[in-house]
Amino acid sequence: MKLQWPRTLASRLSLIFLIGLILAQALSFGAQYYERYESAKDTMLGNLETDVSTSIAILNRLPAPERAGWLQQLERRNYGYLLNEGSPGTAMGDTPIAVTSIQDAIGKDYPLTVTDLPGPQKHFQVHLKLADGSPVTIDVRPAMVPLSPWLPIVLLGQLALMLACTWLAVRIAIRPLTRLALASETLDPNTHAVLLDETGPTEVAHAARAFNAMQARIAAYLKERMQLLAAISHDLQTPITRMKLRAEFMDDSTEKDKLWNDLGEMEHLVREGVAYARSIHGATEEARRTDLDSFLDSLVFDYQDMGKDVQLNGKTSAVIDTRPHALRRVLVNLTDNALKFAGAAELQVQTLAGGGLSIKVLDRGPGIAEDELAQVMEPFYRVESSRNRSTGGTGLGLAIAQQLALAIGGALTLSNREGGGLCADLRLPG
Amino acid sequence: MEHVDHILIVDDDREIRELVGNYLKKNGLRTTVVADGRQMRSFLETTPVDLIVLDIMMPGDDGLVLCRELRAGKHKATPVLMLTARNDETDRIIGLEMGADDYLVKPFAARELLARINAVLRRTRMLPPNLVVTESGRLLAFGRWRLDTSARHLLDEDGTMVALSGAEYRLLRVFLDHPQRVLNRDQLLNLTQGRDADLFDRSIDLLVSRLRQRLLDDAREPAYIKTVRSEGYVFSLPVEVLGASS
Repeated sequence: MKLQWPRTLASRLSLIFLIGLILAQALSFGAQYYERYESAKDTMLGNLETDVSTSIAILNRLPAPERAGWLQQLERRNYGYLLNEGSPGTAMGDTPIAVTSIQDAIGKDYPLTVTDLPGPQKHFQVHLKLADGSPVTIDVRPAMVPLSPWLPIVLLGQLALMLACTWLAVRIAIRPLTRLALASETLDPNTHAVLLDETGPTEVAHAARAFNAMQARIAAYLKERMQLLAAISHDLQTPITRMKLRAEFMDDSTEKDKLWNDLGEMEHLVREGVAYARSIHGATEEARRTDLDSFLDSLVFDYQDMGKDVQLNGKTSAVIDTRPHALRRVLVNLTDNALKFAGAAELQVQTLAGGGLSIKVLDRGPGIAEDELAQVMEPFYRVESSRNRSTGGTGLGLAIAQQLALAIGGALTLSNREGGGLCADLRLPG
Repeated sequence: MEHVDHILIVDDDREIRELVGNYLKKNGLRTTVVADGRQMRSFLETTPVDLIVLDIMMPGDDGLVLCRELRAGKHKATPVLMLTARNDETDRIIGLEMGADDYLVKPFAARELLARINAVLRRTRMLPPNLVVTESGRLLAFGRWRLDTSARHLLDEDGTMVALSGAEYRLLRVFLDHPQRVLNRDQLLNLTQGRDADLFDRSIDLLVSRLRQRLLDDAREPAYIKTVRSEGYVFSLPVEVLGASS
């Protein structure tokens, strides 16, 4: 089975930290335990040597009847003395270190035999005969000094501490990253820049400063672009004005009409260019409570008063918070588009079931090929059929509508209608 | 001798002001062209004019400053038509807010300018407004409504914006500029035909009924715009100019 590497950075870091810390902890505990065992064993065996030789010497010197009385005092934690042959056992397979120590201590004075007593715990006996021929058995039950009962609690405590530290460290490491991601996600150079806090650890502060600087740079580029477009368009307006005025002094002719149309197109392009730049840069208009029915009514009446075939269907009685100029511009661009391609437009407004509003601009024109539906909202994109000059706009109308729809918190989608024609659906938050 | 309207054109672009001057002259108006505010002032010292065409973007004192100055001085009754190169709803409005009677966005056609000049002259001659809307007092209050004359929409008691179509706004302005005064249909039509004179052909009665709906006025017992049988309409409530507020 292949282990799945966790998805989040937090869990990966936690895993690495935890495994590392636990291994290191286990290693150091093991080393200490071994060291303790070794030193304890050395001490114990040293004691054993002197103790056993002293005890046997005492027993040897004591008169036989008094020996039993001393046994109590010679008894130690791991071994004791018996004044008999001991229990029968098997011969020792391997020689424990304790036996070697006893051998070293008294082996040269007394011949020793060692027997092993099988059982769950290690237990062996060393048999010897004192100088008077009476038997003595050293009964040995080797065991380490048991671990203190508080040790596991301390170990558990350490584990908890490691967990806590890991959590804290990972959190400290991850939080600025999360904040940065969030800030990047919500980054909108059009609105007032939301600066990251530039305090904290050096790296975090550095990243925050870099992010803030980047934000400022993007805003500066956008502003520069807007200014460039505005400057070009403004400087073009004066010569276009002159040309239009001059054209009016010309005698009526087809040449004059053509010139007039060209000037009109230039003028339109210049205006749309500025409008597009503004739609991206400008969120300058303030939102205000707007009565939607009267807003749409007035828009449609303005078209009707100019003799255009624009109808409104539906009523919402909604009062929405929106930027009226931006909303108007979106709807005007969509309606102008419908009028251009179909000669008539219908606005449909309704409240949606899940809250929110839908304003549709419908026409019965040629529609847009399915594969071009997304592209037509790109700036300067024109559908094939509008490339010829007679209907061709600037290719900015829908791009502006799209930008402004986003700016007022809405969404604009285009689709082809059943039975032909285009449906532009503007969804607004309720 | 027949009166020939004298138009003063103030524009820093020599070609534009001369082309405009020549066009208007060709169409029977008397014209004088000057390049900036200084020349405008010295000309107005000696010669009164019927209308001033003022470019907004000019070096030195721009059109807005000059318009404000005109409105504050002895020429406050002279109609002003602004020429603006800016293409932005809010910028357009500023000109009107500063007291201009109309505006035209560059690039414009000379015949459109001529039509606007004639409309403004006709309007101001027929019925000079009773109330003067200024920069600081751009809200007109009446009944439960306020009309924002720079953004051109109504505000109800809660401050909710109620939009008006261009024709509705112009008609309401005519009523508010001449409150409690009977206006006949011809006067209303003439005064309302401001900007798109050739395009606008709604009957005044239809417009009045639309405006009543917008004001939530009951057509049978109207509180705002009353019908005066065989004469026309009257705006029956007092109107007050409020200081600027959002």
